[in-house]
Amino acid sequence: MTTAQTLLEAKELSKTFTTPEGKPFTVLDGINLTLREGEIVALLGRSGSGKSTLLRCLSGLIRPSAGEVRYRGQEVPGPMPGMAMVFQSFALFPWLSVQQNVELGLEAMGIPAPERRQRALEALELIGLDGFEKAFPKELSGGMRQRVGFARALVTRPEVLFMDEPFSALDVLTAETLREELLEIWHAQRMPLKAILLVTHNIEEAVLLAHRILVLSSNPGRIRAEVPVPLDHPRDREDPAFQGLVEQVYRILTAKPALEPPQEPIGIGYRLPKAPIEGLVSLLERVAEGPDFGREDLPRLAEEMRLEVDDLFPLLDAAELLGLAVLQEGDIRLSAEGLRFIQANPEGRRQILAERLLLHVPLLAHIHRVLHTRPSGQAPEERFLRELEDYMSAEDAEGVLAIATDWGRYAGLFEYDYNRGVLMREPVPG
Amino acid sequence: MRRLFPSPEALRRRAPFSRWDLLVIPGVLALLALLTLALEGATAPYAPTSPDLTVSLDPVHLPYYGLRSLFRMLAALLLSLLFTFTYATAAAKLPRAEKVLIPLLDFLQSLPILGFLTATTGIFLGLFRGSLFGLEAASIFAIFTSQVWNMAFSFYTSLRTVPKELQEAAAMLRLSSWQRFWKLEVPFAMPGLVWNAMMSVSGGWFFVVASEVISVVGRERDQYLPGVGAYVALAIERADFRAMLYAGLTLFVLVLLYDQLLFRPVVAWAEKFKFEQSAPEETAQSWVLTLLQRARLTRRIARLPQPLWEWLWRQSARKNRPGAALEPPPRLRSRTRRADLAFNLAVMLGALGLLGVLLGYLFGPGLGFGGGQMLQPNPNLNPAFSPAIARRFAGLGIRPDPDQAVWLSRLCAATQGGTVLEEGLKMLLREPGVKAPPDLKQACQKPLAPEGRVAWPEALEVLRLGLFTALRVTLVVLLATLFWLPLGVYIGLRPRLARFVQPLAQFGAAFPANLLFPLFVVAIVHFRLNPEVWVSPLMVLGAQWYILFNAVAGAAAIPNDLKEAARLYGLRGGLAWRRLLLPAMFPALVTGGITASGGTWNASIVAEVVRWGDTTLVATGLGAYIARWSTGAFNPHVGLGMLAMGLLVLAYNRLLWRPLYRLAEERFRLD
Repeated sequence: MTTAQTLLEAKELSKTFTTPEGKPFTVLDGINLTLREGEIVALLGRSGSGKSTLLRCLSGLIRPSAGEVRYRGQEVPGPMPGMAMVFQSFALFPWLSVQQNVELGLEAMGIPAPERRQRALEALELIGLDGFEKAFPKELSGGMRQRVGFARALVTRPEVLFMDEPFSALDVLTAETLREELLEIWHAQRMPLKAILLVTHNIEEAVLLAHRILVLSSNPGRIRAEVPVPLDHPRDREDPAFQGLVEQVYRILTAKPALEPPQEPIGIGYRLPKAPIEGLVSLLERVAEGPDFGREDLPRLAEEMRLEVDDLFPLLDAAELLGLAVLQEGDIRLSAEGLRFIQANPEGRRQILAERLLLHVPLLAHIHRVLHTRPSGQAPEERFLRELEDYMSAEDAEGVLAIATDWGRYAGLFEYDYNRGVLMREPVPG
Repeated sequence: MRRLFPSPEALRRRAPFSRWDLLVIPGVLALLALLTLALEGATAPYAPTSPDLTVSLDPVHLPYYGLRSLFRMLAALLLSLLFTFTYATAAAKLPRAEKVLIPLLDFLQSLPILGFLTATTGIFLGLFRGSLFGLEAASIFAIFTSQVWNMAFSFYTSLRTVPKELQEAAAMLRLSSWQRFWKLEVPFAMPGLVWNAMMSVSGGWFFVVASEVISVVGRERDQYLPGVGAYVALAIERADFRAMLYAGLTLFVLVLLYDQLLFRPVVAWAEKFKFEQSAPEETAQSWVLTLLQRARLTRRIARLPQPLWEWLWRQSARKNRPGAALEPPPRLRSRTRRADLAFNLAVMLGALGLLGVLLGYLFGPGLGFGGGQMLQPNPNLNPAFSPAIARRFAGLGIRPDPDQAVWLSRLCAATQGGTVLEEGLKMLLREPGVKAPPDLKQACQKPLAPEGRVAWPEALEVLRLGLFTALRVTLVVLLATLFWLPLGVYIGLRPRLARFVQPLAQFGAAFPANLLFPLFVVAIVHFRLNPEVWVSPLMVLGAQWYILFNAVAGAAAIPNDLKEAARLYGLRGGLAWRRLLLPAMFPALVTGGITASGGTWNASIVAEVVRWGDTTLVATGLGAYIARWSTGAFNPHVGLGMLAMGLLVLAYNRLLWRPLYRLAEERFRLD
């Protein structure tokens, strides 16, 4: 396997964005990876791990801040001939017919019209879209649209195919069909296609398709682990080896990063996980009521609650942050506080949550303190946003404050007036 | 699906023409003939010695006049498109240019349109010496300025909001800039551009009527360009009701033709560019588009430029070169920061320089100060610019300007500071229409501004006039809203009625309201109403339709579940208005209000001074001020008036509409 030729290579790649205040924050840090001929590689990570950013750096859509990307030994200044991408949202041009969409990439290559037509028709036939040449994307179902996306990418005869969560906007059945067809095309070798790089937040999908899975850590994104998948296609989800691999990926995602520097105590600028309080409560309830009473296997939990990595892990992080649950070996276990929370009545839950929040979330403790020291008992949200923007981008600051507001309101720590954008102390009854 | 046997239909497909061509071929030929006719008229010779241009009130000429007006509209529209594609693209693509071009555009669009007519007539006459096309171009340019700004803005906004996923797809496919422009950016911008062009043309009819009568320096009489607008102006001057009726009928037909032959087809065609994920239930239809799409001839014509297109396409293709990343590499960016600073500095210096030149032009050397004193206004004693009065002054040794203005300073000089007055001069000064200061001696003692320049007290006066106009605009827009809102809601909540009323309202917006002004003049005179108040409704006459059709659209867009919930909870009367209708319609109302107030500001120049025969009604306001000083040559007074109106409109939009718009965007969006 090591003898296979390297197609795409990233060395010490970092990507830093700049906040509106001019402060840099790092999304990707020190990424090294190689994509060799003949393999499908999946990039897996929680939201915020920068996996989509990494894909865009590798494809030349955006430029890394440091380090380099080489395609066949050549530096990548922009999208290279021989690269193609399939998008999560399909990214079809709605004013072009299916055939015109597919011909688009050939037009950029300067191919004369008759040949363009010929090749587009071939690609449409390959992907099972003959008869739809004249249709417009809005007439098609999601699955059909993504087929057009595939045809548009494949018609240019790429060597590397980048896929950005290509199946996540489709329903389960359609996604499964398309995955199978992708593998068929891959194995049929009718195309010069040499490698696929797939971004996904669906662990099963990664294990189903990839030869190697690269797991990214979050904030900043680094490659945390590489999981080889030594199974032959087509793979069987019921196969114990398959399930073992899924379990292994969950473990990696829930493990405390041992190699990284010890965690600094969290401060105001801690990026709170994007976990709506409602979701958190139902997750805890589900774990408490589960067959293993207070302990649950994450793959099973994810499947039953129909949560993918992007939605599940913020909830788990929040539960752990508040000390309501502990993550271990790919399992979640309620803590004593967590059990107490679940058994309490609504008012009791409120109080427990308020205690937990003030204890474990410095931002909420800070807001609470400010509101209680001000005689008016209120403060504009801008005040806290400014403080948060010392640590993150304006957009992220808004996200974090929105989460903090959601939690704080539920716990009855304060009120929030949307129209005025003002946080207020909860009125003291009487 | 391929057919196995050649069916009759397949055979017919090879025929060069279809039955649709029976209509299309004569249509195309007639169009070409009419175009030639209009061009011939527009480029007729015209020299300083040619007789004054005039029109005839005989209705026989109206079709030809209509053709000429239509031609001007079309030329202005093409010019607007050209400008939009270049200017807005430059603003969106060149990061530095944007900082200059967009504020400039914002300012230009708040300038009063008819001011441009005065400002540019001289330039165009000089450019096209000896040809009528000079005047024609001035008129076209005025119409152009009434259409272009919102089109350019719409295109710019679209270019800046191309969805990221499509940008990424275009970059990944390695489309060249040329290819991306035509395959991605223009199509994405198309629905907005078509809609704005339609609005623009609707507003344009108003200015066609107002911009076909042009005063030219060195000619005593106004020049009437052959056109419906000039016909209307002459009918107003002669107080000819029958002619007005003919003109109204002609304009009705013209607007209808424009709508059916140009805009319906374009709107129906632009449907396919709408960026939406699912097929809409109702789509715009146009019989003309169907006709054109089914006729063989038009398809053949449409296919003619294809080889050239394909050639350009392949020339611009990247072939095997790598594409461009969506953001530049970091090294380049730090270098641009220093360049940015230099650029900003240059822009600031340039702006300051321009401001200096402008102030110098308005206030003359010394910027309105002489010998340490503030200069006082040097008024024109012949405010109506009457040639007869000017001649009488000239007879008494006081030389008027070429545009018939008689400056106070010249009177003072001729009478030794207002002390020595001949009997004839005294009589002349008492004449109605001559505005001499009551105490001539005192007026002459003050230091006067240079002739034709503005003095600071006048600037203050202009600002006061501007506030009057602002007050009028606010009140009439508010009143029009109060009037149309309930009606709009009534119609909007009944979809079948709405489908019937919407095209009517759009037609109303396009029909030039200045045709109805004389009715108001007659009524105001007959009932002895105060013109200061009763002239105001004229300003909103053309713009009120925007309020109506936005109200209808807003009410029609209220989601059904909200309406049902309101019914279920027994929400009715005032409560229904407060809790459901007003909040749900707020964004539409703001959009309507913005458009209507813009139109009202622009109409103020025409509406604050109205005539019918010998009757002239003037209301105090900035519009009347600009109208009074529009005498053919651009002068500092017109400049000051335009500047003041531009700044006022800018301030009005920033202070009033922008916060409301933001509120609508953030709080009252229904999605």
